[in-house]
Amino acid sequence: MRSAGTYISGIGHVVLIGWLISGWGFSSEPLPFEVAEVSVVSSEEFAAMVAATTPQPDAANPTAPAQPQIEDAPVPIEPETAPQVVPIPEPAVQPDADTPLPEAPEPPAPQSDVADVAPEPPKPPAVEAAPDVIESPRPQPRPAPRVAPVAVAPPAPEADVADIVRDAVVPDDSAAAEVVEPAQTPTAPEEAATEIVIEDATPSGAVTTSARPKTRPNRPAPAPPSETTSASDDVAVAAALAAALAATAPDLPAGPPMTGSETEGFRLAIGECWVVDTGGRSANVKVTVAFSLDRSGKVAGDVRQVTAEGGDQAAVDTAFRAARTAILRCGASGYDLPADKYDQWREVEITFDPSGMRLR
Amino acid sequence: MMKRFLIALVVLMLAGPVVAQSGPLRLTITDGVIEPLPFAVPSFEPENAEAAQVAADITRLVALDLSGTGLFREIPASAFISAHSSFAQTVAYPDWRAINAQAMISGAVTVSGNQLIVKFRLYDVFSGTEMGGGLQFAGTVDGWRRMAHKVADAAYSRITGEGGYFDSRIVFVSESGPKDNRQKRLAIMDFDGANMQFLTDSSALVLAPRFSPTGDRVLYTSFASGFPRINVLDVTSVGTRQLQTADGEMAFSPRFSRDGTQVIYSLANGGNTDIYRGDIVSGASTRLTSAPSIETAPSLSPDGSQIVFESDRSGTQQMYIMSANGGDARRISFGDGRYATPVWSPRGDLIAFTKQNAGRFHIGVMRTDGSEERLLTSSFLDEGPTWSPNGRVIMFMRETQGAGGTSSLYSVDVSGRNLKPVPLPNGASDPSWGPLQP
Repeated sequence: MRSAGTYISGIGHVVLIGWLISGWGFSSEPLPFEVAEVSVVSSEEFAAMVAATTPQPDAANPTAPAQPQIEDAPVPIEPETAPQVVPIPEPAVQPDADTPLPEAPEPPAPQSDVADVAPEPPKPPAVEAAPDVIESPRPQPRPAPRVAPVAVAPPAPEADVADIVRDAVVPDDSAAAEVVEPAQTPTAPEEAATEIVIEDATPSGAVTTSARPKTRPNRPAPAPPSETTSASDDVAVAAALAAALAATAPDLPAGPPMTGSETEGFRLAIGECWVVDTGGRSANVKVTVAFSLDRSGKVAGDVRQVTAEGGDQAAVDTAFRAARTAILRCGASGYDLPADKYDQWREVEITFDPSGMRLR
Repeated sequence: MMKRFLIALVVLMLAGPVVAQSGPLRLTITDGVIEPLPFAVPSFEPENAEAAQVAADITRLVALDLSGTGLFREIPASAFISAHSSFAQTVAYPDWRAINAQAMISGAVTVSGNQLIVKFRLYDVFSGTEMGGGLQFAGTVDGWRRMAHKVADAAYSRITGEGGYFDSRIVFVSESGPKDNRQKRLAIMDFDGANMQFLTDSSALVLAPRFSPTGDRVLYTSFASGFPRINVLDVTSVGTRQLQTADGEMAFSPRFSRDGTQVIYSLANGGNTDIYRGDIVSGASTRLTSAPSIETAPSLSPDGSQIVFESDRSGTQQMYIMSANGGDARRISFGDGRYATPVWSPRGDLIAFTKQNAGRFHIGVMRTDGSEERLLTSSFLDEGPTWSPNGRVIMFMRETQGAGGTSSLYSVDVSGRNLKPVPLPNGASDPSWGPLQP
């Protein structure tokens, strides 16, 4: 029993199909398009055109290309504007040598969470002694691979391999030469064994496994210099190189360097706690202090005075105390420093210079 | 050969920047903060029952002395984490760091009859160490204020590296009555205005008292004879003696020499005023200036080798410096207005002065070569500066405008901060700050 909906759907589909077939209601006008008029050129005509425009060299009187003119007199080069010469300021006056500096405090004690005994540094991997270059043994021939019912000894080196054994014939000079037999090379059967022989346990010398690369062999002793050099010059060069390399290796902090913003943030953090008495004598003192930080950014150990300039001893002591208090006070909960750059800020040296804040 | 040198040179050039970056992280800090240093003073421990009240009083006065400088800020006891009720108690530094105290003063007081003993210790909280050793002062109960000032001076000196000024006195002119009938008497007081005492009665006009270097005598100008004359007053006995000058001469503006045996002063004779140096005992005098202008208000440098004074030889009042033996003088003030009453700092680096310009009076300081002039105050009338014994504070007279205007003493830090009046019952002028008491 078909429903009314089925009939309605069928009628609708029929009407739609008929409408599409008849195309009623659709525009049959073609889309407008532009048409460009072109002319057709044949290959012969194109070759003629190219031949007319390309200059043909005169085979009889070739003309050399004109050389660029070079003036003999050099043209003076205008010098760049010379930089302003800025005088280098005089080096700061060193503190009076007679003024005793306070004794530096004992080096900071290790933190409690650090073992008293320094751990054994990791031992470098044992470096195998570089083997000297030796002559490689020549490969040994394998045993006879041929199997025969009767074992056959290896033929003589000069004998040819043949099925028939024949002795060597040597011309006899002592006998009268009535019948002269032609000289012939001896023959012998090919070497054979009665059973298949496996390789002997003795290494044959041939490469059997892929070995790990060895340490580079020692270089042979250098040949004496071909040219005559001054011994003092060599010593000087070697010393300079050694000094340069020695200066770089031990003090070079590992890891990426501190960025400007990280350094500035650290500087500002301490400056916020540096109380300057602008009217006091300590305002004339520039003091440099040094200290160590642990990985949490806290001061490890004490703050040490490195140098001081200006003022008497009482003023220097006051300036140092203000600097030390600033460092300890603002770093009580640890400075916010990048942990991955610890080697860069483990040791810190700060100069506190109040000259800009002094009363004028 | 050349190749080797070139290789070495390249290596060194590459190593140079690396070397510069090696070693500790190096910084330079040029900007700090200007703020009072926080300190804590737990109540001094009374070591017996009689000492309870004076221990509390001394504790308060020590805190007031230090806070009054403007360089320190007291942390109230309500913020304390540690009680620190015993002088022998170990200092709990973390508790004091937690409240941001940078210095902590611990003390104990013992009273036995009229005998008073005060002990104290000063601690640097952030370094966790004691600053200096413990000190003990012995005196009388009546002198408890001086004991407190001594403790405050010691703490101030250890923290700032400079001498204190709390246990010092000031001589000045006490004024009472209206402007047209003002009574003036010499008086002396502690630096904070306490213990004021009169040294003279109001029968004669007195001016410009000046302490001796040891604080045992006072020079001042008296009009008792109708003419200004210089008197020497013994502070302990309050006895007075007049310096010898010829009849008809007016002597004023005196100051002691650094050794206290001589006096430099101004002498007006025949319409001309010059500076003289005289012996206090014999009265023999030497004329130091001879210009036909007014030279007055001399003040000796701390080493006694030079004298700064005011003169109108250029047409207006300006400041000049000459040798203590007289001779040529060089002008050091060149700003607008008039400069007067110069006083050499005990440190020797600055000269304080009164400046009048554009209808206003100022107290200012400048270097001894006239550079770096700084005006510290400004009002209707400020004048007569005097230095504290450590050269850190200047006290001066300020007078208010109008017929009912009064004069009073003010103090200001050499930085220009901490301007405040000295509490006194009457008007006051012409202060002279004496030395630290022994």
